[in-house]
Amino acid sequence: MRNILIKEIKLSASFLSFLFILFGFMFFLPGYPILCGAFFVTLGIFQSFQNARETNDILFSALLPIAKKDVVKGKYIFVCIIELSALLLMALAVILRMTVFSDAGVYRSNALMNANLFALGMAFFIFGVYNAVFVGGFFKTAYKFGKPFVVYIILTFITVFVAEALHHFPLLEFLNAFGTDYIGIQTGLLAAGISAFLLLTLFSCRKSCYNFEMIDL
Amino acid sequence: MNIVKINNLCKTYPTFRLSDVSFTIPEGEITGFIGRNGAGKTTTIKSMLNLVHPDKGEIQYFGKILTENEAEIKKYIGYSGGTICWYPRKKLSEIIKTEKLFYDTWDDEACQKYIKLFSLDVNKSAIELSEGMKVKCNLLVALSHNAKVLILDEPTSGLDPFSRDELLDIFTELKKNGVAVFFSTHIISDLEKCADNIVYISNGKIVDSLSKADFIDKYEKNGESLEETILRMERGDINA
Repeated sequence: MRNILIKEIKLSASFLSFLFILFGFMFFLPGYPILCGAFFVTLGIFQSFQNARETNDILFSALLPIAKKDVVKGKYIFVCIIELSALLLMALAVILRMTVFSDAGVYRSNALMNANLFALGMAFFIFGVYNAVFVGGFFKTAYKFGKPFVVYIILTFITVFVAEALHHFPLLEFLNAFGTDYIGIQTGLLAAGISAFLLLTLFSCRKSCYNFEMIDL
Repeated sequence: MNIVKINNLCKTYPTFRLSDVSFTIPEGEITGFIGRNGAGKTTTIKSMLNLVHPDKGEIQYFGKILTENEAEIKKYIGYSGGTICWYPRKKLSEIIKTEKLFYDTWDDEACQKYIKLFSLDVNKSAIELSEGMKVKCNLLVALSHNAKVLILDEPTSGLDPFSRDELLDIFTELKKNGVAVFFSTHIISDLEKCADNIVYISNGKIVDSLSKADFIDKYEKNGESLEETILRMERGDINA
């Protein structure tokens, strides 16, 4: 698995996949829908899939002395590494906004979603949706990615819109908690996001291994 | 001893059907896979590499079923798919270095030998290579990891006559070391030069799979050359 990951990074990955990890820092932006940062990170990963298709990467990988399912797992691990790197930056922003900047006026007066544990959980959820819809969709054919990407975009922007809107509804103000307010429920929401990410990714990876085994290259 | 056994391979596409393809590839011999464009050579080869899933049939290497021992078996297969190129903008040296990681049988000495023999500049990227050089580049990797079976899909297409001759000589050299060479071609003179066995496919069916000498004995008519025999057979006159 180490070798296939080296192959992903050295031969197949686009530089943009690594560069776009920095969009994780969008969690610092006030007055901006911060979950778009997660979308931009996945846009960077999309470039690697485009690169892979243009360079015959899938066929090259399938010919290597590894099981075909390892080709799929290698892609998922690469994708998850990029996502987790971005999540690390997002977590850093969340920690700072929950502590040092918890009373900063620029964040307090922000009409949009606050970067808290709920937001981090939603970023996990968006990455899970990407893995299930886009990566899983790609491995149905190992070359078509237009439709999966469009479906992913629609789902993500619905998710961003809903996440941004929810805290404006009565009784849901806790979603926009500052500092350590509502820390119990906020932690629960983060855990739900992480669980959704894990479930969506693992289920999708398993299904993709099966699909990739079935298709003719 | 037969290294590869293909039994009753069937694959149906909307406009093409591979029917009950069966043949064997013996150790230390060169087997030519001949057939016109669209006869089913590439589908058969892709099935032999687990890239295409047959509807029916079984493929065995060293007595083991391919689908059940894929990773282990692929270590001993060298494959070249003609002019297809991987990562066209990456340096060949970078691709080779990465590919080397996957083979514990990788032979640096052999790799250097073939780089010299093929006059390959590994600091170039695939996009800078001619079609013939791309074939050589694919062959380089196939030859550098001490494969026991070489499966080559039209390896001589796009090569100049000198390189073709060199390549056929390499096949002869490899067979002396016990390597089974299986190559598809539609260039019949390649078979005449070096093949020990001929597997002839037409319209998705194996017409016959014999040693070259037996093939000539069975099908040759009135002192024809092998090329004339196969052309006649392809026109529908199978009986000698």
